[in-house]
Amino acid sequence: MPSLTKLCHAPGRRALLVLLFAATLLVLTAGVAGAQAVPPKAVTTQGEDTRDLYFLVFGIGVAVFVIVEIMILWVVFRYRRKSADEFPPQIAHNNPAEFTWTFIPLVIVLVLFGISFVVLEDVTEAASDDEDVVAVDVLGQQWAWAFNYGVPVEATVEITVPDSAEVDKIFVTNGSVFRPFATIRIGVEHMRIQDIEGDVLTVERAVNGTVTQRHPRGAPIDRVFNGTEILEEGRLQDAPRTPLVTVPVGRMVRFNLASQDVLHAFYTPQFLTKLDAVPGRVQTLWVRVTKAGDYASQCAEFCGRDHARMIFTVRALPADEYDDWFAGKIPPLGDAPPPPADDDEDDQSAADSSQGDAANGQRLFFANGCNVCHGDTGQGGIGPTIASTNLNLDQVIGQYRSPRAAMPVFPADRVPDEDVADIYAWLQTQPLPDVIVPGEGTP
Amino acid sequence: MATMAGGQTRAYAGSRVWQAILEWLTTVDHKKIGIMYIISAGVFGLVGMAFSLVLRTELAETGTILSGETYNQLFTMHGSIMIFLFLLPIGAGFMNYAMPLQIGALDMAFPRINALSFWIFLFGGVLIASSFAFDGGSAYAGWTAYPPITGNTGGNIEPPGVGMDMWLIGVILLGQASIFGSVNFLVTIFKLRAPGMTMWRLPLFTWTTLVTALLILLATPVLAGALILSFVDRNGAGGAFFDPANGGQPLLWQNLFWFYSHPAVYIMILPAMGVVSEVISVFSRKPVFGYRSMVLALVGIGLLGFIVWAHHMFTTGGVFLPFFMGATFLIAVPTGVKMFNWIATMFRGSNIYPTAMLFSIGFLMLFLIGGITGVFHAAVPVDFALHDTYFVVGHFHYTMSIAATFGLLAACYFWFPKMFGRFMNEGLGKIHFWSLFIGVNIIFFTQLLLGLDGMPRRINDYADNPGWELMNQITTVGAFLAAAGMMVFLFNVVHSMFWGEKASDDPWEGTTLEWATTSPPPPHNFDELPEVRSERPLFDRRWAAQLAEDDHHHGGGAKTPSPAAKRED
Repeated sequence: MPSLTKLCHAPGRRALLVLLFAATLLVLTAGVAGAQAVPPKAVTTQGEDTRDLYFLVFGIGVAVFVIVEIMILWVVFRYRRKSADEFPPQIAHNNPAEFTWTFIPLVIVLVLFGISFVVLEDVTEAASDDEDVVAVDVLGQQWAWAFNYGVPVEATVEITVPDSAEVDKIFVTNGSVFRPFATIRIGVEHMRIQDIEGDVLTVERAVNGTVTQRHPRGAPIDRVFNGTEILEEGRLQDAPRTPLVTVPVGRMVRFNLASQDVLHAFYTPQFLTKLDAVPGRVQTLWVRVTKAGDYASQCAEFCGRDHARMIFTVRALPADEYDDWFAGKIPPLGDAPPPPADDDEDDQSAADSSQGDAANGQRLFFANGCNVCHGDTGQGGIGPTIASTNLNLDQVIGQYRSPRAAMPVFPADRVPDEDVADIYAWLQTQPLPDVIVPGEGTP
Repeated sequence: MATMAGGQTRAYAGSRVWQAILEWLTTVDHKKIGIMYIISAGVFGLVGMAFSLVLRTELAETGTILSGETYNQLFTMHGSIMIFLFLLPIGAGFMNYAMPLQIGALDMAFPRINALSFWIFLFGGVLIASSFAFDGGSAYAGWTAYPPITGNTGGNIEPPGVGMDMWLIGVILLGQASIFGSVNFLVTIFKLRAPGMTMWRLPLFTWTTLVTALLILLATPVLAGALILSFVDRNGAGGAFFDPANGGQPLLWQNLFWFYSHPAVYIMILPAMGVVSEVISVFSRKPVFGYRSMVLALVGIGLLGFIVWAHHMFTTGGVFLPFFMGATFLIAVPTGVKMFNWIATMFRGSNIYPTAMLFSIGFLMLFLIGGITGVFHAAVPVDFALHDTYFVVGHFHYTMSIAATFGLLAACYFWFPKMFGRFMNEGLGKIHFWSLFIGVNIIFFTQLLLGLDGMPRRINDYADNPGWELMNQITTVGAFLAAAGMMVFLFNVVHSMFWGEKASDDPWEGTTLEWATTSPPPPHNFDELPEVRSERPLFDRRWAAQLAEDDHHHGGGAKTPSPAAKRED
């Protein structure tokens, strides 16, 4: 047994050096890591709680790590074989010791469980009923985000409750009612009509969040506006623009997450949380932002080719600035005009509604993520060139509603015809590129 | 191959090679099948490692070199190959090789089914790996294959091509091979033990084989069912199982998938734990401390492994969080018991540090970090922050990937003399150990930090945040260092197989029955079996005099009982 003999007589000094080297490396690594192992500064109340829990777990983890590593290194170094015929004591078990190292970890994890449970309740707690809540519908799609803001709280349809209080006689002018009539589909979400009593209509969201809102009888629920704004700055080399969602500081914000195609996840590192957007479900993420600023965010659930480029920014404004921003986006509550009918010129403030508003079209083009496939000027990319398309507006609308090839469906409740008209108007102002990506409507 | 050498003459040299190949292709000998498992899984592992180097090169700087499609295919196949074609089968390989020897059996209970398992595995593996050659390339949906990204409906802009179907069928086949194998292991352990080899005298590696086989048997059919449903979703004109466009539930897949894939984590790590137990016991000249609590901890980990699957789904919004949080925390207890028992085995031991022992100690250190970072994920609010970031990537690489690999590398250095009658080179082994140990720590500790700072996984480009590019570069350097170490290992294996220092039948002063036969063992494994009176029959024989003296001095061993013989009384 030449090898074994050699090993038995390995010089102690060298083993010592190797071990010292290992120990130094370990200490250095642990030191560097300890200095770095800090999560981002939390900017929500929920994130702060999570961060505190993190440091508790981290502290216990470091203590366990150091103790166990020292134990390992100590037995490795201290109990080297001294001679080839050394016969160590054959200690096979020791009940008190074994009980100790079963019991202590058990106590530690039970305590951690208790604390984590309390923190979990805390960070997932919904706003109280009477609290002023800001709701944002977040729709993920390959590979862009759309943000819709509810007024006063949520809903994307106009709904009128008649005097005769029968649930199945609610009139929905922009949206759809599913029979049996307990549910209304609003945007991507199903809502249950719970109760109509006096002048109050109680609507409960069907999935996940059970927040009850009150809508005065007969008053329309205003449609949600598509509020996706685009920052002209990107964090990645080939994604120069970033969708922006704006929220107030200090108020509970309710993100209603949905997906139109595959799984996505809403992840803002400085919120220290994330939640998946699952097609077919609407899920609720509650945050209360404590600090104004722009927070880099991105999709955290793998969603295909451009997953890495599915970035967005959460902008938190002080409450009064937010209110100004919000007021600038929508007409005052209750005075919201109904969505324009096709032949109703008067409802559209802009005179050129039949022509489409190119400036608004550019905003909508990015807000709906069209640029991801068609390029920033419609020059084409993964999708065909659509700048100065040969198609007419009706054909373009048809393409939105029942697309050929790989384009996702954009239904009318997400991109209404007038929005398509605006986008169309803007695309007609864009020059044809030198290289045409062929497809529908390209020359 | 040694069995082929006798009785052949030079004139038949050409046909001798063919005969040898034919014998390996048609063998039902568990040792040859085990070696074939290990070698083919090792080759797949090298392919998976090569993919990881491409991924690391892409991530070394911001901006992209590869297309998104290619990157996604590579990380999907890195994960799929490493898990389904490297870690699972290589564990099966060592269990195949060593377990029947350890219990003194002539072969597995069903040798032909054993061969069938191997060939199904190989076919399934080649099917998955060859999908790159087809239109649309390989599967790109990650090794977790979450619908609807796997689907060809539901608004998925870029449905995966036929590679996805090949992946699904390939994994179904691998599952079938696993199920066959697990039944074989179980029957072999229950029915073919040598006289005196009671269940409480099974070597710990055999115990891990037993628990692993049970996990495979109970969990794999669930995965197979889910894979078939996913295949129908893709090809059955809308199976409506997982695809929401047809009314299916994407989260159902995740529940079914993790019901298998969480136990699969233990299927990968338990054999490594078994090896480490054996190696530490042999090289410390001591019995495994707390043998029975080790077995109970194994069974406990196995049982708990079945009720924690949803901790992979904390951020889906679709699971009952407190239950899975509590169950996940509890796993720390049996794993902690094992860790302390291993340390206690070395405590007051007579330890030496050949490469196999170094890798076992490396296993302890890496698994410790993996276990502690696991506790971060068990605390649900912390997991909300860390899930799907590089922190998770670091965590699971520390545990099931790197710790498991270290255990299996220890197995390789440990059983190599038994398999081939030759030692692996110890000097090269130490170079291998240190480059790999330092390399993987550089890679995965840095990834923990990156994840903590918010870098999501599965992205081929990242924002130029402070420190991210530097940390990614450090990670990439670590990856190449580790890969260089693996090249040294590869050379060592090939070189030692033919030109290594000759080893005796029992070169390590082994304790279990595989060391009682020749190196390599004859086809029927044993000419004669020693008496089995504890889990260390060879140790009892070698140190009979000292053990008797110990007994005498300590009057039956109140403080230092002789290993299992006393416990059996």
